[in-house]
Amino acid sequence: MIKVIVDMDKCQHYGQCVYEAPNIFKLNEEDKLEYLATADDSELGNIQAAVDICPMQAIQLIKE
Amino acid sequence: MGGLRTAESLRRTGFEGEITLLGAESEFPYNRPPLSKEYLLNPETKIHFNLNHDTLQSEFVLGDAAVRANLKEQTVSTEQGKTFTFDYLVAATGLRSRSLKFENNLLTKRFSLRTMSDTEKLRTAISSGMKVAILGAGFIGCELAATLTKLGCSVHVIAPEAIPLALALGEDFARVIQRNHEAQGVTFHMNTSVKDLIGEDDIRGVLLGDGTTIDCDILIEAVGSMTNVEWLADNNLDLSNGLLLDNALRAVTPKGSLPHVYGVGDIARFPYAHRQLPARRIEHWNIPIEMAKRVAKDICFQEGLDVADYSPTEAFCPLASFWSDQFNMHILSYGELHLATSTKLLDGDFDGEFVVGYYRDDELVGVAGLGMRGVLNTYRAEISI
Repeated sequence: MIKVIVDMDKCQHYGQCVYEAPNIFKLNEEDKLEYLATADDSELGNIQAAVDICPMQAIQLIKE
Repeated sequence: MGGLRTAESLRRTGFEGEITLLGAESEFPYNRPPLSKEYLLNPETKIHFNLNHDTLQSEFVLGDAAVRANLKEQTVSTEQGKTFTFDYLVAATGLRSRSLKFENNLLTKRFSLRTMSDTEKLRTAISSGMKVAILGAGFIGCELAATLTKLGCSVHVIAPEAIPLALALGEDFARVIQRNHEAQGVTFHMNTSVKDLIGEDDIRGVLLGDGTTIDCDILIEAVGSMTNVEWLADNNLDLSNGLLLDNALRAVTPKGSLPHVYGVGDIARFPYAHRQLPARRIEHWNIPIEMAKRVAKDICFQEGLDVADYSPTEAFCPLASFWSDQFNMHILSYGELHLATSTKLLDGDFDGEFVVGYYRDDELVGVAGLGMRGVLNTYRAEISI
């Protein structure tokens, strides 16, 4: 199980995370980020890529 | 960042050998984009990357620059006299700020911005009400203009081109940026060169090419960068503009590529996968991240590890992306905009939010937007790389 935490004060809704882990992150109709707070271990690589690619470095990943 | 991401990618791809990260700065890896923005405004801003030393298992040698590489002997020597031997070398030594040379080459009250230390010096020197002259109207110049205006400074930007950021984003986009800055009080002196600095012991102003002067309390040079590749000299590499690499990001010599020497990040000059154009460097933030992954795969492949879906002959072909935050403007782009021969407004309008397409003949080679994130992202997949 992976916990995903996004600091919404840092998030500028650039949406780069969406390209790396589309099952976890998306931009809604208002172009704002929505995401799943928990994810299956199979998404680890994708979420790690999202953590790296976020211009604001707003994403945290916690492995449980 | 390039070095750190390479080490992380190596571990994630299964590399179990020794990794040493050698850095000139006395800091663990940190993120540079906030230096001209959040970190300049607020020293409490966290910019160091989260490091998991348990998974990374890498040695960090900080505050000690590489000064000489001997690729034949597979060694790197440092400023403080250490020598490291390697099986694989990844050069990710980045850029340093360019500094102009004037007849009256005063150094006091003169700043540039590349490192944490630069930002701290600048922050200490700034106070509200100060008059700041910024040389250069690129991304750093414009971001600094916005941040320093927020800090209460009166900012004058001086640059030789006609419109700030026109080279990066095209004229239409650039005019919007200039207008927004001017509405916040920034003064631009475009089509202007600086002839000399004014002052006796410290900078008091600048003398322009047309003979007029601009007073300032401090001067910031945001006039581009130099690649830190001198340490690679005398190894038959092409160091004319960064470090020349092949399609697999391996260093090139007249006798062929070196399978154990790579480049990552701002110094890495690499070929186009699908265009008959000279190899180029891309100074965008997402590039070292993509290069790190590729280099890690290539090293692991050479080590005989099982790297899924990887062939060393597949050309490295990343989609470049950059962003910039200036005042309430949030700019995002995809592609290599400089390839364009024409631009077209795709959506929105220049009075508000908009998306511009960048075309090379009929090919969409890039898109950039002011806001309108959702629309911008729909064009991303259409870009020819």
